[in-house]
Amino acid sequence: MRRGLSLTALLFALIVTLAAQDDPTRKESDFLSRTRRLTVEGRRAGEGYWSPDGRRLVFQSEREAGNPFYQIYTLDLTTGDTSRISPGYGKTTCAFFRPGTSEILFSSTHHDPRSRQLQQEEIDFRASGRERRYSWDYDIEMDIYSFNQDTKAYTRLTTARGYDAEASYSPDGQWIAFSSMRDAYNRTLSAAEQKQLETDPSYFGEIYIMRADGSAPKRLTNVVGYDGGPFFSPDGSRIIWRRFDEAGLIANIWTMKLDGSDARQLTDFGSMSWAPYIHPSGRYVIFASNKLGFENFELFMVDIDGTKEPVRVTYADGFDGLPVPSPNGQQLAWTSTRAGGSQGQIFLAQWNHERALAAIAAAPPRRK
Amino acid sequence: MHRRQPLLASAVLLIALPSFAQTTPSPARAHVTRLAADDFEGRQAGSAGERRAGDYIEAQLARVGARPLPGKNSRLLPFDFTAGSRDGGSAVTVTRSEPAGRAARASTFTGVKTVQALSFSDEATVSGDLVFAGYGIVVPESQNLGYDSYATLDVKDKVVVVLRYFPEDAEPQVRAAIARYSDLRYKAQAARQRGARALIVVTGPRSPNAGQTVPMTFDTALAGSGIPAASVDGAVGDALFAGAPKTLAAIQQELDSGNPHVAGFALVGSITLKTAVVRQTLTARNVVAYLPATTTPADKPWVIVGAHYDHLGRGDQGTSLAGKDEAGMIHHGADDNASGTAAVLAIAESLAKEPRTRNIVFALWSAEEIGLVGSSAFVNSPPIPLTQIAAYFNFDMVGRMQENKLIVQAAGTAATWPRILERANVVAGFDLAVQTDPYQPTDVATFNQAGVPSLSFSTGPHPDYHKPSDTADKIDYDDLDRFVAFAASIVDATSDASEAPQFVKVDQPASRAVTTTGLRLTTGTIPDYTSDVKGLLLGGVIGGGPAEQAGLMKGDVIIEIAGQSIANIYDYTFALELLKINQPVKVIYQRMGMRVETMLTPVARR
Repeated sequence: MRRGLSLTALLFALIVTLAAQDDPTRKESDFLSRTRRLTVEGRRAGEGYWSPDGRRLVFQSEREAGNPFYQIYTLDLTTGDTSRISPGYGKTTCAFFRPGTSEILFSSTHHDPRSRQLQQEEIDFRASGRERRYSWDYDIEMDIYSFNQDTKAYTRLTTARGYDAEASYSPDGQWIAFSSMRDAYNRTLSAAEQKQLETDPSYFGEIYIMRADGSAPKRLTNVVGYDGGPFFSPDGSRIIWRRFDEAGLIANIWTMKLDGSDARQLTDFGSMSWAPYIHPSGRYVIFASNKLGFENFELFMVDIDGTKEPVRVTYADGFDGLPVPSPNGQQLAWTSTRAGGSQGQIFLAQWNHERALAAIAAAPPRRK
Repeated sequence: MHRRQPLLASAVLLIALPSFAQTTPSPARAHVTRLAADDFEGRQAGSAGERRAGDYIEAQLARVGARPLPGKNSRLLPFDFTAGSRDGGSAVTVTRSEPAGRAARASTFTGVKTVQALSFSDEATVSGDLVFAGYGIVVPESQNLGYDSYATLDVKDKVVVVLRYFPEDAEPQVRAAIARYSDLRYKAQAARQRGARALIVVTGPRSPNAGQTVPMTFDTALAGSGIPAASVDGAVGDALFAGAPKTLAAIQQELDSGNPHVAGFALVGSITLKTAVVRQTLTARNVVAYLPATTTPADKPWVIVGAHYDHLGRGDQGTSLAGKDEAGMIHHGADDNASGTAAVLAIAESLAKEPRTRNIVFALWSAEEIGLVGSSAFVNSPPIPLTQIAAYFNFDMVGRMQENKLIVQAAGTAATWPRILERANVVAGFDLAVQTDPYQPTDVATFNQAGVPSLSFSTGPHPDYHKPSDTADKIDYDDLDRFVAFAASIVDATSDASEAPQFVKVDQPASRAVTTTGLRLTTGTIPDYTSDVKGLLLGGVIGGGPAEQAGLMKGDVIIEIAGQSIANIYDYTFALELLKINQPVKVIYQRMGMRVETMLTPVARR
């Protein structure tokens, strides 16, 4: 597969390349069909992750008066019912279903006694009419919680000072991979590092793994720059994540074993490539990159070993990112601004796995 | 709340299996096919075809058990409207005073190509001295522009002569500001407010349609505007300006600079103007019936589900887009709006079998195409108190779905709509384009004006819009059926909610005040309202029109025209006023994400 492309495949590659140049709008429908906006309510919504049975999504959305920050909701795709599973105050992000249980993890700051005050400050700021560039504030109070849907109990899984978030479960539900900036707070920083912490704490983001009960945390990455967004491969043997450079401008997709060894780089666009998720077939990765323009994120896909040049998936202005294939591999949920405005909503489409495989097979080798 | 589940579950299956072949006959197909058939003759309001269509709808509502509204003994609610107007023999007599010793010379002009009343004119015979008031435009002081054609004139008890349109050569921004007040109704109002006895309109030699009378536009007003007003041709114009210091062409050229200090002046002589307008009053019928609540009705006990069922007949009114080869043919209106009518009937049929906590009214409006006349007649003398209406749902052109896209308008009229839409659509699976704006050219505007929380649904425009070729075979019935299930679930959810939606007044976009009636040119574009993309998305172009000749096509997004950046339909309408007939302008548009430039030459529209 990786060497000796057949003549047919080469011809197909040529045709695909030409087609891409001639008629780019046809390309999105090669892989995505019945594309549609899933979330409507509220100012914004994003990061929809599937339940293992594919019947629900858990996502973050800003949709309740009084809280200008994300809260976490589940959405039943067969009834349309939504319910909030986070406490309703504080900031939350990055939820994930725990396979084989009724638990859902997410990150939250609701233990911060200033939570409601911060909400009001943000509401006042918006009312003032001032604007700021989009930024994620890496709140040091952010910690990982699990929520039991049966007992409605929250269990705090991390307590370290520093942002703990971007967490996901292993397929067997026994492990959690996450990103943490705790390294900035558990040692003495140099003056340069201290300055870095004040301007951009994400510089200290590293990938960690821990047991599902929060015990035995272990650091897996040791490279300066923001490492984040880890997910397990479908067979549970590897972790995929994105690694930013030291300046925080360029990011690439990497995979590694669960002990941090055998790290492999899958992409090399020289742009911000991030939010990778492995298709349930285990054959390829869907991710987002702003290769085509700083504020124009599109979805791409690349073979699981990163030997090929990535193939473009979406063709829409603005943001397309945070792709998550359904457990059966036949649908894709992602976050997009394609409906207009600057705030994302979750979109859903049918995913053509066979065409994706063919396009990846036909892609040229990765440019070095 | 879940009792619609079986119906919706089949919609889910359709999504999961796109090739799933539907075996049950489409409930909407029979209605569309019947309503769009030749023997309904395009369902023009007040016509025999419309009466037959109304009878069919009435029978369908009766069949599902929908009753006449309380206090009514029929599902057919007639109303009168002005179906059209024509000149009834207007005439002018221009009298020139001659030097002493010679008799005054009088010339009389008649015939619609020579003198024709404006459609909103009062009927009267008046005489008076003549005053020329330039373009007859008064820009309100609030606009900080200082353009008043009457600034130096006393027109009390005089007959005012004005030019049609507005100064062509003014600076673009000035032109745009002036153009907004160039509608002939504004001009008549300005003259009347200053005490003028009558208004005469001349189409200047430098203007499009030079020297021609103004065709009687369709105007549904039942009465005149308080002043006799007529347009005259070039020959009459010459007679009016005989003895003036300059020719009309020279005078117009001075005015066309937009210089506000170019003043009008008294003309030599006097005039007698007789205006005669024959207004044809017809009767059309809304078809309205309801399914009563099956329990004690909830707060605000009425929900209305509506669509207009009238269309353009054979297209002899102004809004037909039929090509020359299609002139006089039946405009079938399968999508516009047999589809919406069919949706309402299908929703009625499905809800008839369900328990209800509110009374659900099914209202099929007539005379929508000529200005929302049927729904306005209902709201102006409401058979049920407007304050007791929890919500209005409107369906206008829902049969031509493209790429799964469904447009929802007026979503800003209640805070609860996004949640209701999201919930229903998770199951139905449409790519919703949600727009807050209720100021739409469809019956939803009537109910928004009345303070009723509303939603309006459409699958958007298409090349057969307002043409005879809008036929039943082009409707996508699978998607129409999916839509009916979705809409029924929304009506059901709203009607079952213990609390009625709270009305939110959506601000009217400021530039919406621009009237299109003043537009004197066309670019041949068909805007697509389906998304909030930045720019003007084209749903199509008129065959052979300027846009097509410029190479524009469906799917292009115009982002700049004549140096004006275009963010939305309002910007576009505004920019059109800056264009000149037969003068090419640069258009920048996006096609497939690429920026493309072309030149477009607008043409005059009658």
